[in-house]
Amino acid sequence: MSTTITATLPPSSHVHADVIHRLEAGGSMLPDTPENLMQVIGIYKAYAVPMDFYWRDLLYIAERVFLKPLPLFKYFISKEYLDRHNTYSGDQSPLRVWRGGGEAHPELLEFMAKGESGRKRPRLLHHLGHDRINMEFAEACMRAMFWHVDINPKFNAYLYSDAYKAAADKAIKAYFKGNWAVLGLYKLFPDMFMEQVRQLSYYANLGLFWEVMAPVFFEMSDIYDEGGFATVSDAMDFLVNGIFAVAGRPIYHHVYIGDECFEIIPKSAGMTWLYEAALPYVEAVFYRTTPFRGTKSYDAQAQQVPGEQSDFHYGILYADVFPVGSAGIPPTLLMQDMLHFLPPYLQEYYQEYCRGEDDQLIQLGITFQRSMYNVTSAVIQALRAALYYPLDDPNPQHRQANRRFFEEQMDRLTRSEARLQDIQTADYR
Amino acid sequence: MATIVDIAVNNPGFETLVAAVKAANLVETLQGEGPFTVFAPNDDAFAKLPPNTVNNLVQNPPQLGRILCYHVVSGRWDSASLAQLSELTSVEGSPIPIRSHEPLEIKNASVIAADIEASNGIIHVIDNVILMG
Amino acid sequence: MMLTLLMGLPLLGALALLLFPPAKAKLVALWGAGIPLLWTLWLFSQFDISNSQFQWSEAGAWLPVLGLNYELGMDGLGLLMVALNTLLTWIAIYSARSEIERPRLFYSLMLITSSVISGSFIAQNFLLFFLFYEACLIPLYLLINIWGGEKRSYAATKFLIYTAISGALILISGFGLLWLGGAEDFSYAALADNSLSLKWQVLLLVPLAIGFGIKVPMVPLHTWLPDTYVAASTPVAILLGGVLAKLGTYGLLRFGLSLLPDGWAVVAPWIATWAAITIIYCAFLAIVQQDLKRMVAYSSVSHMGYVLLGSAAGNNLSLSGCIAQMMAHGLVLAILFHLVGVIEAKVGSRDLDQLNGLMNPVRGLPFVSAMLVLGAMASAGIPGLVNFAAEFAVFQGSYRVFPLQTLVGIVGTGLTAVYFVILLNRTCFGRLDSKRAYFPKVSFNEKAPALVLAVLIVVLGVQPNWLMRWSEPTEVKTVVIVPGEHNVSLRDIGGLLLGDSSL
Repeated sequence: MSTTITATLPPSSHVHADVIHRLEAGGSMLPDTPENLMQVIGIYKAYAVPMDFYWRDLLYIAERVFLKPLPLFKYFISKEYLDRHNTYSGDQSPLRVWRGGGEAHPELLEFMAKGESGRKRPRLLHHLGHDRINMEFAEACMRAMFWHVDINPKFNAYLYSDAYKAAADKAIKAYFKGNWAVLGLYKLFPDMFMEQVRQLSYYANLGLFWEVMAPVFFEMSDIYDEGGFATVSDAMDFLVNGIFAVAGRPIYHHVYIGDECFEIIPKSAGMTWLYEAALPYVEAVFYRTTPFRGTKSYDAQAQQVPGEQSDFHYGILYADVFPVGSAGIPPTLLMQDMLHFLPPYLQEYYQEYCRGEDDQLIQLGITFQRSMYNVTSAVIQALRAALYYPLDDPNPQHRQANRRFFEEQMDRLTRSEARLQDIQTADYR
Repeated sequence: MATIVDIAVNNPGFETLVAAVKAANLVETLQGEGPFTVFAPNDDAFAKLPPNTVNNLVQNPPQLGRILCYHVVSGRWDSASLAQLSELTSVEGSPIPIRSHEPLEIKNASVIAADIEASNGIIHVIDNVILMG
Repeated sequence: MMLTLLMGLPLLGALALLLFPPAKAKLVALWGAGIPLLWTLWLFSQFDISNSQFQWSEAGAWLPVLGLNYELGMDGLGLLMVALNTLLTWIAIYSARSEIERPRLFYSLMLITSSVISGSFIAQNFLLFFLFYEACLIPLYLLINIWGGEKRSYAATKFLIYTAISGALILISGFGLLWLGGAEDFSYAALADNSLSLKWQVLLLVPLAIGFGIKVPMVPLHTWLPDTYVAASTPVAILLGGVLAKLGTYGLLRFGLSLLPDGWAVVAPWIATWAAITIIYCAFLAIVQQDLKRMVAYSSVSHMGYVLLGSAAGNNLSLSGCIAQMMAHGLVLAILFHLVGVIEAKVGSRDLDQLNGLMNPVRGLPFVSAMLVLGAMASAGIPGLVNFAAEFAVFQGSYRVFPLQTLVGIVGTGLTAVYFVILLNRTCFGRLDSKRAYFPKVSFNEKAPALVLAVLIVVLGVQPNWLMRWSEPTEVKTVVIVPGEHNVSLRDIGGLLLGDSSL
């Protein structure tokens, strides 16, 4: 296929021309090496286990904890939500992405019971000792999506619609029924409550997004273990197919108060997984997010922080992974979570490089960065397929349009912080 | 004269579209006053989508409806008047770019049969399902 | 025998090294340095604090014709200096790279140096002291010249020349003391019992001060030091800066202040001024350095100024601070040089422009950085760390006598904070350069010396009395007069030098 492309289009003059040519040949931004494939799949598996907790707890918070004034136990997920069947795995699933069970992953349950120390302790002690899944990371992602208001226009417009306000109002009044103090507060400051509900809608949004990704990653790991993927692009294509398959999944926000269900965002609002969750997630978390507190000082007056929110570039595609390990920053929280579930082959792999076990946290962070370049490649290829033309389209103008699309995407990765060039070599670890 | 829905039902090659319109409860709407311009993907166009995509959408009528509404524009736009435009706004709300006028290309779909007149609008048959974004 | 052992044990260690294969050399050397360290600790337990005389004296005739006798003895000052020597020798050997070339020769020379330095601290005979003082040049010259870094032979030669001149000047004073003072031999007791006139005291002090001033060193006699310290490998630099520099101040206390007290009172204001200039000048030099090791080297010279200031003031408090500062300086310099050595070994550079973000918790050198912060804080005189107690005592004591020089010295501590903030800001903080940051692991063996020193720095900082109590009798003995009471003016000194004996 690549020969016909070079025959019809002159080489790109973009700084990332080699990557663009690879994308045009149906490849990924991540070079196709067995080492990269092994790393990427291994980390997907390590990511999927905590993600299985993230989505369950996000939905638990959105649907059950709701507006609890002091949500001290919001990370103490109920048994019901741990047993809740994932819509895309288990034998009851109408669209079974993963062949495994629908309940919480067994490795997750084991970790929740014993923690890093391997000793059974009350859940409160695990929580206070931070020997647990770091839900704070999931919330940081949620907040990034919530804060970057311009990337999700349809969803945000709905959050300010009358239908939404009426539904939220009903739920608030039902939730605080009989609690005159809070209801009085609600009368005085209705917008404060409304904003909290909007944030909870984003909890639901992200929870429903990750509910899809966890089984996708589990399945990819299983396929790899069976010898199913030969190249990095195979893994990317699986993601592209996954994105298309569930693109139309409804995004909704239901709240359960007692036995009653309040549909704050009903499924009939027409929110879709691809448009209202996946694409905003990629934009907010992979590209933008916010600078991490505590790793670097920024002088806003010296233009060290972009004036426009849309120019933010602190996501995983740009991130300097080396500060991982600093206390409390989201990347540390995530890497710590993944560290507990690394497949053995990845653990052995990290032993051989840099400081071995001592800097696994950073090595896996860079692996994660590679893997997210692969996911982003899948999103770019999916968008190319949905909005543009097949890679082997005979019409040169269509080819040119594809090229322009890829170049526009790569333009975002030309700023010096982008790690695209780093991940082209194996030495970046 | 027949409505947009009638034309789709009575012509071969639009079985998936008709099924989708029914599943999304849009039959009544498209039989309404209008006028509408409909970019109608034929069965081959739907067949290009991964099978799970369509199945999943059929199970979720509101979401399916949104995709379908992206193929509908209010007003009667024949190919001559489309030639004057570079963009239309769909009923769904998102813009539909017209990328080429000769031959007529609606986003990444080519119009394979233009200007099919109906009582409440006009139909252009396209060879791809177009998606927002 | 107790004191002879102090010198003999390291020598035995050096001999033992010959019996073992090179692979075992470091281990044997650690024992060779460890046993004298334990012996010193035992001496602490036996030391009689209330006794202001020299203890465990040993005497034996050697060359009575020359006035050279084998006379040893120990007071509080000697005990502390010996302790510093044995401790830092052990630390220095521990901090040596395990893959060092010709290990047996290296460790033997280290142990010989240590033995000879101990000897000079416990000698009770000026000529014996002088022999030890000169003898340690030979192993050090070899240590610098064989295992040093860039420009090592230049540095070694410079070191040799400067120190030899220093020795010659000191010898002149020594002979002057003997002949003019009318002593029978070079033993301290005999030399102390002199009846030198003030004029001669001052005249003898001048070469003595310059000689030891080279060793300390004092501006402008310091130029050998940065070259030597930078060229020397980490363990040798620790010995040089931590212990050897103390020979200079020790000599001034022992021979200047103790033996020529009246002359000292006259010279003291000049020494204090000289100390203040050294403090400020070298602090400014440290600020502009680009090389980590050079910065620490200049900081070391600057801080020796406090020792000198304290000895110049010569009262009980300032002397107690002065002796404590000698210890504190040794501990802090050793930890800083050790850490700089580790950084150089891991990162491959000492250049402040190349270093960045070493505080990074996983990929940086977090332990080394933390220790570097502690060392820098100690050096800058942060309360609760050993230097604070020492410098505070020096300032309190010397302010009464030399207020101006003391104020200048206090400004110097502020400048210390300046260059250490620069150092920490460039090396430890900021963002780790992800292009180069693939440093090897820091092993436990590289952490241990820093840990030992850090514990001492903190413990002695919180409880400085554990440091100061040993030297109290020495101070009482040394402080014969309060120099402030002599109002010696420049004109008086001039007259003195011109032979006007109206004083």
